[in-house]
This record gives sequence, structure tokens and C-alpha cells, in this order.
Amino acid sequence: MTNEEYDKLIKKYIVEDNIIKNIIISFLSGGICGLIAQLLVDIFSLYFKIDISNAYLLTSSLFIISGSIMTGLGFFDKVLSFCKCGLLVPSTGFANSMTSSSMDYKSDGFIKGIGANMFKLTGSIIVYGIIFGIIFGYIRSMI
Amino acid sequence: MTYYFKNVYIKDKYSLLASTKYNPIVKNNVNEVLDDYYMGSKTIEQAEIKYQSLTINKLLNKYNNVNLLIGGDLQNQLLASTYSSSKINIPFLGIYSACSTFTQGIIIASMFSELYKNKVIVSVSSHNLVSEKQFRNPVEYGAIRKRVNTCTASASISTLVTNEKTNIKVEAATIGKVNITNHKDANDMGSAMAPACANTIFNHLKDTKRDINYYDLILTGDLGIYGKEIMKEYFKKISNKELHNVIDSGSIFYEDDIVYAGASGPCIIPLVLFDYIIPKKKYKKILVVGTGSLHSLVSANQKLEIPSISHAISLEVKY
Repeated sequence: MTNEEYDKLIKKYIVEDNIIKNIIISFLSGGICGLIAQLLVDIFSLYFKIDISNAYLLTSSLFIISGSIMTGLGFFDKVLSFCKCGLLVPSTGFANSMTSSSMDYKSDGFIKGIGANMFKLTGSIIVYGIIFGIIFGYIRSMI
Repeated sequence: MTYYFKNVYIKDKYSLLASTKYNPIVKNNVNEVLDDYYMGSKTIEQAEIKYQSLTINKLLNKYNNVNLLIGGDLQNQLLASTYSSSKINIPFLGIYSACSTFTQGIIIASMFSELYKNKVIVSVSSHNLVSEKQFRNPVEYGAIRKRVNTCTASASISTLVTNEKTNIKVEAATIGKVNITNHKDANDMGSAMAPACANTIFNHLKDTKRDINYYDLILTGDLGIYGKEIMKEYFKKISNKELHNVIDSGSIFYEDDIVYAGASGPCIIPLVLFDYIIPKKKYKKILVVGTGSLHSLVSANQKLEIPSISHAISLEVKY
């Protein structure tokens, strides 16, 4: 049997996930996430009289902290697999991947374990975030 | 490559189930159920060593003069097998063939038993969290699971292969060839292993000049619900014959309705065989076909095709 024939055979039996359903779930969960964040920003700036840029910073820190704590308690992966990309793309997903990697490699020690593997999955986000940040920064300054 | 054995029997086994998550079908028949991922040790890797030591020691307590220990697991450099064998004073062979490790072990043990009249213990183990960490993503990482993913079972089983006559006879064995297709998705191991499995069954039947109906049951490894169907159709294409008496251990292992395509790991096939199929007292001639996907993290990252292997052993069971 040739490779093409075998590919066809695989496609015949494997049922793909329902993409539309996943998109709707992600849209709703991501939207709820954004709504909560905006509410927090408003509360911080209106009631606690915090500067608006600091309120944004505080909100994203709160999201990261809560994501990490929920990961440590062991139920955030279940929430994430239900909410899909709605929670994976915001900073909660970043916190989850960082915390889960460091939890896994805790047994290998502080230097070769946690230190070396904490950014195992998130390292690429940081690296390409910085690279594209610089590139788009230059483009913007030229315009 | 099919070999026949005249005097090889499986005398005893000791099985341990380390997690009852998703309700494994063998739960009531295994020798020991421990719902514990750590067993008092600090790390999951060390826990797997304890699982395997426990099953080997339980067999050694019962039987003396064991000549050889054959061990295998899924950890890098066979950590669990080597450490668990370090505490006992028996010559050791470590083997790796992913999820077909058990059938490979039985084939090697049968050779030793037939030629040198040795008593051999074959021991395999797997740990869900260790495999997640090593082959997939970190344990607590909320990766979106696909329906084709399989869930590695946490268990260990040791079997004793001897010359003494018992009710389970190892009658013949076929060693498979490494098979490569164009399939590259390491999430979907069932599709990668299906051609290897079909080829091994085909070669076994060709070498032995037997019909498919000679066997009451063909028990495959961990192809999963999709892999099983793909294997059946692939077999039909290469041999023009239908396989109808196939049970896939991976697809029936979990009784709960889960998001996975089934269970995987080297322990699945012996657990289902000894603790589900044989206690049913229904099938007499069983062809056990272990299937293994031999990819590593490196090969998956470099987008290489997944190599897969499958070994078959033919058992004759008397009730």
C-alpha cells in the first residue's frame, strides 16, 4: 500500500474534533475572561484610585498569580481543556505552562530542574515576543 | 521469522494496578490494586521503580532458582527496570520496544527456556505521569487533548516463563519488522502502529500456513478505537481476508466513557490477557500481538516518520 493510500485510509476512520464548537467555546470563555479583566481594571481605577496603567498591570499580575495557584492546586488543566483557547491564549495560559513545567522538574533540583526547565514551553513566547516587539517598534517609529 | 516452542509455559504472574482512574476493566482480577501515584517516594520515577520491584519480589518469594530477569518500561534508559533489578541478585536483560515490550520479553524468555531450560521472569511497568512528562506535555499543563490521544496506564506486571507444564503454553512466536509509513503525528500512535500490526499477523499466518479461523481470538496491543479499524482494513487490503475475531486491549481497557482513544503502555496487553481474557475461560487459541510506536521526543520534534513494531506470540490455553 502506498503512502497516499494509507493517508486516505487514516482520514476515513479518524473523526476530527468539531472546530465550530471549539471556536464558540473559546470565544465565550475568552470573552468572559476579558470582561472580568475589564471589571477589575475599572474597580481598581475608580474605587481604589489607582493610576490606569498600574491598574492594567495589577490585573494581568492577578491573572498570572491566580493561573499559577490554580495549576498548583491541580484543577486548572481540567478547566483549560474545557474552556480551550479562551483561557490558553491570555496570560493564564502562560502562567499555567510555566508553573506546570517547574512542578514537573522540581524533582531534578533547583538549578538543573526548575531553573533550566521553567521556560521550557514559554521560552519561545518570550523570545519571539521580544524579537517581534523590537521589529514592530522600529516599524512604528518609522511611520 | 516464526519460531516454534515445544516446552515453554507461562507459570505464574503478579499484576499490580497503580491507578483506578477511568475504571480499568481488569480492576477486580488483578493481584493488587494500589490507588497511589507516589508509594511514599518523592518522585514519580521512583514510584515506578517501586511498582516493578514489588511485582518482581512477589514472584521471587514464591519461586526459587530464577535464572534470568527481562525487564522493560517506557522511561529513558529503562530507569525503572534497571533500578528494580539492582536490588535482586539475578542476571538482567533490559529491553525496549515501547508498548510491545511484553511480547518481545516473552519471545526472548521462551528462547532461553526452550534452549537452556531456564526459569525467566519478564517484567514490564508504566506510569501515567512519567509518560506524560517524557513524551507529551507537563502533567498539569492544560493541553487540548485530541480524540486520537491515548492514556498511559499506571501498572506493572511480572510473569514467570518455565519448562514446567501449566495451562498456558507459548506455542509459537513471530518477530516483526520495523514499519514506517508517512504518518508523522505522534499524538496518534494507533495509525502509526496499525500497518506493523497487520503485517505481523499476515506474516505469522503465512509462516505457519494457518487460517485466521485457527485462532479463537487475536488480541492486539494498544491500537485504540481508530487504530483497530484502520488495522482491520489494512489487513483486508494486504491479504483479501477479513479479521473478525479481534479484540484490542487498549480500546476496552477503560470502562468509563473518556475523551481518549484508549489506553496505552506495555502493561495493557498482559493485564487484559491474564486478568480479563483468560479468567473468561472462553478462548483456547490466542494470538497475542503487541504493538509499539518507537518514536522519541527528538524524532517527533524533527518531524520524522514514526517507526513502529509489532511482535506476536501464539498461546494455547487449557481450562
